[in-house]
Amino acid sequence: MSPEPSGQPPHEDNLRPHTYDGIQEYDKRLPNWWLLTLYGAIAFAVAFWFVHYEASVVLPDGERVTQELNRVEAVKLAAMVDKLNDPYLWQASRNSAIVANGAATYKSVCQACHAPSLRGKAEDPKYIGANLADNAWLHGGQPTEIFKLVREGYLPRGMPPRGGQPLSDTAVLEAVAFVLSHHREGEPIVVEPPPAQ
Amino acid sequence: MSAARPSLDSVTTINADGSRNFLHPADTRGRWTLARRVVAWFLIAVYVLLPWIPVGAHPAVFLDVAGRRFHLLGWTLSLQETWLLFFALTGAGFALFFITALLGRVWCGWACPQTVFLEHVYRRIEVLLEGDAPARRRLDAAPWDAAKTARRVAKHALYFLVSALVAHVLLAYFVSLPRLYAMITTAPTAHWGTFLFVFVTSGLLYFNFAWFREQLCIVVCPYGRLQSALIDDHSLVVGYDAKRGEPRRQGRAGAPPPSAIGSGRAVPSEATAAVAKEGDCVDCLRCVHVCPTGIDIRQGLQMECLACTACIDACDDVMTRLRRPTGLIRYDSLAGFAGGRTKWVRPRTMLYAALLVVGAAVALLAFASVKPTAFDAMRMPGGAYFLDTDAVRNQMLVRLTNKTDAVRRVALSVEGAPAGLLLSGTDDTIELAPLAESLHTVVLRMPKPRFAGKFRYRIVARDLDGGYELVKPAEFIGPDPKLLQEDYWREKSPR
Repeated sequence: MSPEPSGQPPHEDNLRPHTYDGIQEYDKRLPNWWLLTLYGAIAFAVAFWFVHYEASVVLPDGERVTQELNRVEAVKLAAMVDKLNDPYLWQASRNSAIVANGAATYKSVCQACHAPSLRGKAEDPKYIGANLADNAWLHGGQPTEIFKLVREGYLPRGMPPRGGQPLSDTAVLEAVAFVLSHHREGEPIVVEPPPAQ
Repeated sequence: MSAARPSLDSVTTINADGSRNFLHPADTRGRWTLARRVVAWFLIAVYVLLPWIPVGAHPAVFLDVAGRRFHLLGWTLSLQETWLLFFALTGAGFALFFITALLGRVWCGWACPQTVFLEHVYRRIEVLLEGDAPARRRLDAAPWDAAKTARRVAKHALYFLVSALVAHVLLAYFVSLPRLYAMITTAPTAHWGTFLFVFVTSGLLYFNFAWFREQLCIVVCPYGRLQSALIDDHSLVVGYDAKRGEPRRQGRAGAPPPSAIGSGRAVPSEATAAVAKEGDCVDCLRCVHVCPTGIDIRQGLQMECLACTACIDACDDVMTRLRRPTGLIRYDSLAGFAGGRTKWVRPRTMLYAALLVVGAAVALLAFASVKPTAFDAMRMPGGAYFLDTDAVRNQMLVRLTNKTDAVRRVALSVEGAPAGLLLSGTDDTIELAPLAESLHTVVLRMPKPRFAGKFRYRIVARDLDGGYELVKPAEFIGPDPKLLQEDYWREKSPR
């Protein structure tokens, strides 16, 4: 489509020696800004390789990720250790806002197995979850023990970690507070250990 | 007057040593310039105003990346609808093909942000502060004194200010205005990421519009490079009517005789010899001086041409003064310039149009299928199935997302399963808060005596307010039913 040059190319232009399908190529200098990006990229690659892999200026990616994850975990743990003890959970179970959030989580996640009444299979055989309303507990009845069980689950009996949903620690805490709101601090606790597997 | 005449053999804006030849195209006046300015300011107004105009509860365009929701003209899409992007992109592609085959590079000259902002904002600032093209060239050549420094500082400060404004508007598309205002009025340390984004974007825009300019169109942009594949002899281009213009007359501006013009293919060889016939072109070089990419349109269609129409207005102006008919440089097809007729209906345009129509129809169907609720059902992590004392158990994780601003009520049910299946988790109606995501558990249990192997079923979410159903197929799995029969083990054990 573009017009063929009418005459022969101006003689001062360098032509590359090759000819393909009758097409020849000028040998022009590239724009300086273009060359700058090329040489700049090469220089950057070398510098990056040296700094990143050869000199021990920065840690390798894997170690940096691990380090950062550890830091996040430590912060989380610190926040939890501060808060998470039996008295705190009892206190949370008497806080109407926390219990309301927990009730919503219970309704959407836990209720399918533990029944709306919390009584689980004691309510109706179609529910498969343990009874959370009585004083008998399978894995320990202290608030922190319940929290730990909900968070980690007990798969041999079909209790998945966090009820099988991507719940946050806060959501788990709220749900436990909701369950505890049906109990009183200091009530008798009967622990029935799970059958040996 | 700029140095050498443009040649087909090299790029005007790049000197032989690779350095930049910074262009100062002259201003034009005329109907195309006016029309283009109106279109450009309309487009700028649309760009700036879209985040301000509320449609429903959200801005007209709000790509809420943080909330993973995309509000387009009162319509809300969630991240789950990313697949629709396929239709948006292919639709834009087909539309571009079709328009290019028909009208050439109207996008480049009229609507591309590069042209719109460069010609109608940044170049205007330059004219305002440094004067017309000859004045700007003089200023370029002048030694650095206080006056020049003051003008240049003012110009670049304004450039950066405009770039920052454009970048802020861009950010408003992603965070919405109230949030943008909150970020503007707080310290950058409170939101380093976004601050850096806007700062770098402003810097890139400034560099692009202050210095890089037409290099983007000539060297970087792939659309210009694709032109030879997209257009043919009947596509509309901005061109020079060589039949009417050649041989060029000895212009009043003291232009060199036609024989001195190097490689113009527009110069028919017999015509150069014939002195009797004179063309309409006076070789005044107005078309070259106004060209933003520095080409000579009279050398024919070139990749650098953005079809910006500046040379049309420039030439029409000269022709009017010479009392000659206008249109020596005009919108026409290559066939038209050769004296033929432009064929609008041709296989290429028909094919592109057909692809466009098919694509649009499918896209319409796809977009119409989008429901205000998203629904997902998957097996719960953990065991694939569980064996209770009396039943085989499957546990499903259901995720419901309300994409609207109103509360929606959804009922879950299981359909297509064999009789005897025990369900829990589907009894209550689920209330979804506006824009909320909600997780649910559905437990399915099949009593062992009735379990006859795996079977397929459907989990159905019915929107009680919308009157539609979302269906996800699923499979109930368990062990081989034979293993559940007690006599199976009795028969095996004696061996």
